[in-house]
Amino acid sequence: MSDRPLPLPDPETAFFWEATARRQLEILRCQTCKTWVHYPKPSCWNCSSGDLKPERVSGRGTVYSYTVTHQDVPGYTAPFAVVIVELEEQAGLRMVSNVVDVPPEDVRIGMPVEVTFQPVAEDVWLPLFKKR
Amino acid sequence: MMRDVAIVGTGYSAIGRALDTTVGALTLDACKAALNEAGLTPKDVDGMATYPAAGDSVPCFYVVESLGIPRLDWFEDLFGWMPAGITPVIAAAHAVARGACDVAITFRSVKRNRERPPGIGYGFRVPGDMQFRAPFGDPMTSQWLAMWARRHMHTYGTTEEQLGSIAVTFRHHATMNPDAPLRVPITLDDYFASRVVTTPFRLLDCDFPVDGAGAVVITTLERARDLKTKPVKVLAGEFATGPRPDWDQWEDLTFMASKYCAENLWRRSGLKPDDLDLAELYDGFSWLALCWLEDLGICPKGEGGPFIADGNVAIGGTIPANTHGGSLSGGRLHAISHVIECARQLRGECGDRQVKDARVGVVTAGGGLMAGALLLEGNV
Repeated sequence: MSDRPLPLPDPETAFFWEATARRQLEILRCQTCKTWVHYPKPSCWNCSSGDLKPERVSGRGTVYSYTVTHQDVPGYTAPFAVVIVELEEQAGLRMVSNVVDVPPEDVRIGMPVEVTFQPVAEDVWLPLFKKR
Repeated sequence: MMRDVAIVGTGYSAIGRALDTTVGALTLDACKAALNEAGLTPKDVDGMATYPAAGDSVPCFYVVESLGIPRLDWFEDLFGWMPAGITPVIAAAHAVARGACDVAITFRSVKRNRERPPGIGYGFRVPGDMQFRAPFGDPMTSQWLAMWARRHMHTYGTTEEQLGSIAVTFRHHATMNPDAPLRVPITLDDYFASRVVTTPFRLLDCDFPVDGAGAVVITTLERARDLKTKPVKVLAGEFATGPRPDWDQWEDLTFMASKYCAENLWRRSGLKPDDLDLAELYDGFSWLALCWLEDLGICPKGEGGPFIADGNVAIGGTIPANTHGGSLSGGRLHAISHVIECARQLRGECGDRQVKDARVGVVTAGGGLMAGALLLEGNV
């Protein structure tokens, strides 16, 4: 896993990786209309407010879609599953991740999952998911 | 005042798996072929557009200098996420229509970089939105669109066999196209035997990477009447994206920006899907062509799989599609080849694979978040 690409946090995304390093999942939320905004942007896509703050989410969701990749990519040896998880806080609030405790061929759409954290560098913990 | 415009010249370079020549030389070959076909020379050209992004091609200036074009009154080098093969064509059609230039040449050229691994977002630290994908093993376009296809299968019951029928049908068309790099017929068994890239996509669901170039010359319909080829009128050229254009956050991964593009196309042209005689649909991956069929309204949403498996898009079917073999069997030229094929079909020059009495065709490019489409008419 040593050649796994790591995130390069910037002023818009640093909060996310600082939270995962504390083993918490935080998503930007519009303080005006309460819409969750991911990936992090400085303006709410729903109401254009610039008043956004990170808030902790439950970490629970379901698999919205997935693909089982059969060729190696940096940091990953085939076969492995990539999933899009839809978080329970809001329809369409999704993130790309992996499911750690299910064989790639058993991943299904609709599978209920919850977040877990895995260290991949001294300062980086990835939010991954396990079956619930 | 907007002028009527027409495609008057089309041309290819050699197209091959690993050609021992530069992308610049391929580009010039395609441009000269397109000008020759129309009976034009570089001295006639006063407009140009291309998509030179990703370092796989050359910009306008390379062609201006190499062909000795005296002057351009309009040009665009286009970058960023967009339907790469069709955007320059639509931009040029609009430029000629509004009088910015009179004879525009557009091209898309690709030379594969064999040193670079597939996908984006490599490096020790990944910036931007890719920081939320690459660390999770998700750097490749094939993976992103595979998850759209999977969602479509989940929602509508689309099957692997139906995806396979796309590859088999387009390969059958390529067997009748001497320019296509893949001309050996395949069966569904061959499809299922091809290696899985990223589910549900097998190798035969993916376009075939090639080196090559295609060029298209556009001028006014009035001037086109004096040139060597039968004019192919541009009825409409449209683009669209939708809300939240992101590979994961897009509102519903079972339809694409093509839905919005199709709305623009039909509204602004006054035509409807029933008016089409053929469709050259972007097929960077098999499922994209299926989704374009649905989003254009050629078949109802969700029924693209059975529609294709029943033979509707085969030559001789109700709406022949990707008559040159598409990108799956004709090579990855980012849909400039789709434009060229549609124009040649509407001129009636396609021999064994000619669609009978073809008069109106649609050409589409882009998948997922971006969509562009052209409506073309022959016998004008």
